[in-house]
Amino acid sequence: MSKHLHRLAPAVLLVFGLAAMYGAYQLGLGELSAPGSGLWPFIVASLMALTALLLLFIDDPDDYEQWNRNALRILGGLLSLAVFIVLFEILGFVIPAILMLLLWLRLFAKEPWRWAVPLAVGGALVFYLLFEVALAVPFPDGILLAGTGR
Amino acid sequence: MGILDGIGQGFAVALDPINLLYVFLGVLIGTVIGVLPGLGPTATIALLLPLTYEVEPVTAVILLAGIYYGSMYGGTITSVLLQLPGEAASVVTTFDGYQMAKQGRAGPALGIAAVGSFIGGTVAVIGLTLLAPPLADLAVEFGSQEYVALTALGILLVTYLGTRHPVKSLCMAALGLLLATIGQDDITGTTRFTFGQIALFDGFDFVAVAMGLFGVGEILYNVEKTEKAQAIKTKLKNVWPSRKDFRDSSGAIARGSVMGFFIGVLPGGGGVISSLASYATEKRRAKDPSRFGKGAIEGVAGPETANNASSTSAFIPLLTLGIPANVVLALIFGALLVQGITPGPQLISQEPEIFWGVIASMYIGNLMLLALNIPLVGVFVQLLRVRSGILAAFALLVTMAGVFSVNNDSFDMWVVLLFGLVGWLMKKTGFEPGPLVLAFVLGSILETNFRRSMLLSGGEFSTFITRPMSGTIFALMALVIIISVISGIRKRRRRSRPATPGEEDLAATGTTAEPEGTPGNETTDEQAPPAESGVPRDRS
Repeated sequence: MSKHLHRLAPAVLLVFGLAAMYGAYQLGLGELSAPGSGLWPFIVASLMALTALLLLFIDDPDDYEQWNRNALRILGGLLSLAVFIVLFEILGFVIPAILMLLLWLRLFAKEPWRWAVPLAVGGALVFYLLFEVALAVPFPDGILLAGTGR
Repeated sequence: MGILDGIGQGFAVALDPINLLYVFLGVLIGTVIGVLPGLGPTATIALLLPLTYEVEPVTAVILLAGIYYGSMYGGTITSVLLQLPGEAASVVTTFDGYQMAKQGRAGPALGIAAVGSFIGGTVAVIGLTLLAPPLADLAVEFGSQEYVALTALGILLVTYLGTRHPVKSLCMAALGLLLATIGQDDITGTTRFTFGQIALFDGFDFVAVAMGLFGVGEILYNVEKTEKAQAIKTKLKNVWPSRKDFRDSSGAIARGSVMGFFIGVLPGGGGVISSLASYATEKRRAKDPSRFGKGAIEGVAGPETANNASSTSAFIPLLTLGIPANVVLALIFGALLVQGITPGPQLISQEPEIFWGVIASMYIGNLMLLALNIPLVGVFVQLLRVRSGILAAFALLVTMAGVFSVNNDSFDMWVVLLFGLVGWLMKKTGFEPGPLVLAFVLGSILETNFRRSMLLSGGEFSTFITRPMSGTIFALMALVIIISVISGIRKRRRRSRPATPGEEDLAATGTTAEPEGTPGNETTDEQAPPAESGVPRDRS
């Protein structure tokens, strides 16, 4: 079964393309002389479905990389970014930024604590000054260093 | 307006202190990220897109252009010293540059690369100055049919020339076109594929998509592959090449300039292909081809000149026709769109300060690069001590804060995250994000012009073929497709016949051509080329 695992990507694309074709059809194709808003999406979705169908059969399995523990770490990294966004909306910039940098520096860069902590705190503050103060970006109000009131 | 007037006006713009600062910043950042493995010009430009909102359009393009051609210089440094190409276009430089370094001639290798890059860049800027205005005049006559033809050709060539697997790239281009339709339909006002989400009414923000696919996606991919930082042992001395070096490489530099210029103008061309082509040419012309791969200075001078020349001339189709020739230019195109400026034939007459200002800044930028590179090579080399994990952590934070700053909306952060995941998955499954982003940028132009043509012609597809200009372009496209299908079928019968000049040299070292703008292949290691990439990849 794992021999065919690489066909998953084209299969997903094919399903996506077919769904988009259906969605575009629902929007109304119109006439060629008076194209509806669905016509163009229908054409490109068909192209996508067609190429995906072709790929189901001709794609080169060598193009696909193995899944390993490293990939899991990356998924963890993505999850940490999602947590960052949620916290950012609640707590403002500084604290989530410190936490995120700390996590990445420890887990992905494998820096020792004596480097990771100052880098994370310093980095978060520098970016805070750069974006919030110098570029006047209104980050959500934080519990630490509240927004500058814009 | 004559060319001389234009250039005069351009220098007036480019010599403005703010713009001078941004040229300098651009080439400096470009050189730095060219040196750093793991961060290529596309990722950097994507990361810096939000910054372009803060400055004038001309300043933004000056900065981004500087990063692009600056990275071509920077990539050379690591190729020569460590056999690690800092970005994709410098892969060929590793063949002879690293050998020169082993023979104690790292200095001249870097010196000749800097000089060659300067000459190539300058020749290309002069060509750009002369060629762009007449081309734009021609393009003013274009109707919507021609735009459909040109845009489609651009997308097609980028998917065919710049990538390893045309069908996969075409599939991604279609996905990009499809994603571009999300949001309100400009013509009828109906909303499409928004699923009732108000945040989607304006469609995905280009900046967020690009930052996700190129920024986050590439960072994640590189973190996964990270290796330990390497210490530099090579001592650098006598960076300025000797008179004999200049004599040996003058022909290669001259040919590289011209070849790079023309390859850069073609859609799908750019640094990677031009440096390969130049290397292949020099090797073929040499009296003793066996010297190549063992430290021939022409093998460094030619490709380095060519990749710089092409990264400059790639601006011609963008500034005159509004067609980005490769992914990096697509990002710059997007940056201009964001500022409310549509690059195209009208650019010269409507926004002369942008057109000529950017060109003039390139003259200045190339001078700055020469001045930076010769004395400061030793300093740049120290950058390699920065560990890529640290770089990734900070780059991600900049991405998140940066994309928020565009619309002050955390929805865009989720878009970045989503496309970061998609970009990483694409890299892992061999789909390339380049065609997707290019198609996404061009999507609405293509659709609008397609529908306009259909309305004008009363629904006749023949309108695309009967008009002389668009007919020619479509014929060209048909030709490209037919040739590639035939060669694809032939290749399936007897695999492993490389199609691109220079591909055999790449294959010999166990590397493959990376698409434009990506950071270099970091696994290039003398003793252990990965087994499966010893077989040349299919490529049409």
